[in-house]
Order: sequence, then structure tokens, then C-alpha cells
Amino acid sequence: MKKWLLILFTLIIFTTLQLSWPVSLRFFNANPDLLLIFSVSLVFYFDFKIALVSGILAGLFKDAFLPSALAINTFSFAVWSYLTFRLSSQISTENSYVRLAIILIIAVLNNAATGMQSLSSGSFIPAGIFLRTLIISSVYTMALSPLVFKLAKKISR
Amino acid sequence: MFKLSRKTIINFILIACAAALVSIFSPLFKNSAQKAFNPHLSLIGLLKRECAGIIFYHRNMVERDKFKNEVENLRRKLFDLREVEQENTRLKDLLNFKQKSPLKLVPARVIARSPDSWSSSVIIDKGRYNGIKPGMVVINSLGLVGRVIESSKSNSKILLVNDPSQGISSIVQRSRQEGLVSGSLGANLIMRYLPVEAQISSGDIIITSELSRVYPKGLLVGKVINIGKEFSGLSRYAVVKPAVELSNIEEVLVIIP
Repeated sequence: MKKWLLILFTLIIFTTLQLSWPVSLRFFNANPDLLLIFSVSLVFYFDFKIALVSGILAGLFKDAFLPSALAINTFSFAVWSYLTFRLSSQISTENSYVRLAIILIIAVLNNAATGMQSLSSGSFIPAGIFLRTLIISSVYTMALSPLVFKLAKKISR
Repeated sequence: MFKLSRKTIINFILIACAAALVSIFSPLFKNSAQKAFNPHLSLIGLLKRECAGIIFYHRNMVERDKFKNEVENLRRKLFDLREVEQENTRLKDLLNFKQKSPLKLVPARVIARSPDSWSSSVIIDKGRYNGIKPGMVVINSLGLVGRVIESSKSNSKILLVNDPSQGISSIVQRSRQEGLVSGSLGANLIMRYLPVEAQISSGDIIITSELSRVYPKGLLVGKVINIGKEFSGLSRYAVVKPAVELSNIEEVLVIIP
């Protein structure tokens, strides 16, 4: 119960942080996806069921503040949690570089999926801006992931 | 009358000789004595100076720390005042605009921004309770900001003009050339579907058109900064710099129809 409360509290904090991310810390209008890092990091430190439910919650929190009607993050966060769980049973994810790589790949895929969904709904995004947002946002997410991993590890104890 | 004994006279002479000798040799003694004492005296002088310096330095250091704190406090106060001044100016502008404008406007403050990098939206602190409904247009004293897409009791979600899903029917103020302005996630907007022979040039002002069902006619959208040809070659596009600095918008006005 205490763990659940801690996870919920952290999710609220991360959602608030993501919504009020300072403009001066946005690079080319891109900000890191703290909720995505947190939901993936829970797979490394918690039971899969807890990670999956937290991932869905994180996706819901994110989608609640997005203009898009489609709850793409609620679905995709659950998928990333599941895929990370499957991957961690195949390869060792103890090494921090492996975890960073996983976060980078997931961030790129999640951003690509969101961008493609935006394009398919008729939005006009120039190729340069699409690539710039995709790359900067994903790398920024990966760069902040060690901090979130540390926090997730602390919560798991 | 004065009768001096021989002994007394000799004594006087001896004293005089001694005085003469002292006066002759004293400069030599003085010099050598001074020379001998010079290093010690210099050292003591140096020590005294250093001690005084240390005391002075320490006093200065304490004072410096005190002044430094004072400067920090004043700087913080100045920063706060600057913030208040800027806010005051912005609110004054909004108030002036609100008083002059024939439209019914509700002022609101931006409380959150889009949580991802693929959309451009903000959340304001006014909602249905203040009469705000989806579809209402949002502006500020500089120009068009966006439109309300969702509203709850106490807050509303605004889709900014630079969101890629936005499409605003607009015209070039000078030539009345029509086009569709949409966001591109970047800092600028893109006005598309301009004919090849369209009369448009850099510096032209773009305003909302009367064809738009959502936006009232004549709202300032931005200024043309560049013109290019579409890949197909059938039409041209214009890069428009929004009139409002959307990345750091803090206060807005919602138009109540």
C-alpha cells in the first residue's frame, strides 16, 4: 500500500513537473518525457503488475492534458512496460548503459508514434521540425533518465 | 671671588673633553647602532604592518560579506520588482485592450503547458464557471493566441495557433489574398494554399478572414517573414511570425461571443 501511494505521489509530481517544465529548459520546444521514463523504470525495480498499472496511470495522466482526443499514451505506455518486461527476461538490464539505450529506443518509438498519429490526423509538420522534435525530445528524455531511475530505485526499497 | 680648586678645574676639563669626544664619535656610534638595529626594527615594523593588515583585512572581509549579502538581497528585491513591473505592464496592456475592445473579454492566466513536444497547448485558470466554452477564441493585446478546445468548471485547455492541427482561414491585409495559416510546432506559422501569382511579400500583415467560422474577422495573426514555393510547384507558402510570443505567454483574454 505504501509503495502504491509513493508511486501515485511520484506520478502526480512528474505530471506537474512536465506540465510546468520551464520554458528556459525547453530545447527547440522539446521537453523530456518524465512520465515515460518513470513508467519504464518501474519495470526494472518493481513487480511487473505494479509497473504495468503504473504505466497505464502515467499514460492516462499525460493524455489528460493533451489536446488530442485519442489516448495514445495510455495504450503505448502499457505496451512499453510489457515490452521492457519481456526484454528484461531475455537480456540483462542491470547495466545502466543498457537501461539508457532502452529508454532512448522507447522514447524515439513513442515520439515517432505520437508524431505519426499527429500527421495522420491531418496536422502539417515539416520534415525538419518532425526530425528535430523526434531526436531532441528523445535524447533529452534519455539524458534525464538516470535521475528518475535513482528515484524509482529509492521508492522500491 | 670664585675660587676654584685645581681638582675641580681638572674635572671640568675632563667632562668637556668627554663631551667633545662623545659629540665627535656619537654620529659614528649612532650610525652603526642604527645599522645593527635596522633588520630587527624593520622586521617588527613589518610584523606590525602585517598584523594591522590582517586585522584590516578581516574587518574588510566581514564588511564585504555583509555588503555581499546586502547586494544579494537588493538584487533579489530588484528582480522581484522587475517581475512585478513586467506583470503590471502586461496587465495594464490587457486592461487597456479590454477597455478599448468592443468584444466581451474574460482575462485568464496560463497555469500549465503541453506535457509533450508534439502539440502546442496551454491550460488557463478560467473555465465554465466564468462562461468559457469550447470553440471560444483566445487573444491577448498583441494578437491571436488560439482557441478553447476543452473546458472544465475551473480551467480550460487552449490549442495555440502554432499547433500543427490548427487551421486558420486568413488574409493578407494589404492585398486581401486568402490562405490557410497552420502551426508547425516551430516558432513560426505557415500560410499555405497561396496561388503562384498571389500578391504577398515579406513584411505583410496577416489577419483572420471573414471566411473563418471560428475566429472573428480582423484579428492579427502575424507578419510574413519569408515566401517559398510548395514542392509540387502549384502553389506558394509564406512563413508567418506570430504576433504573440507563444512560447512564454502568461496572460490571455478569452472572447465571449
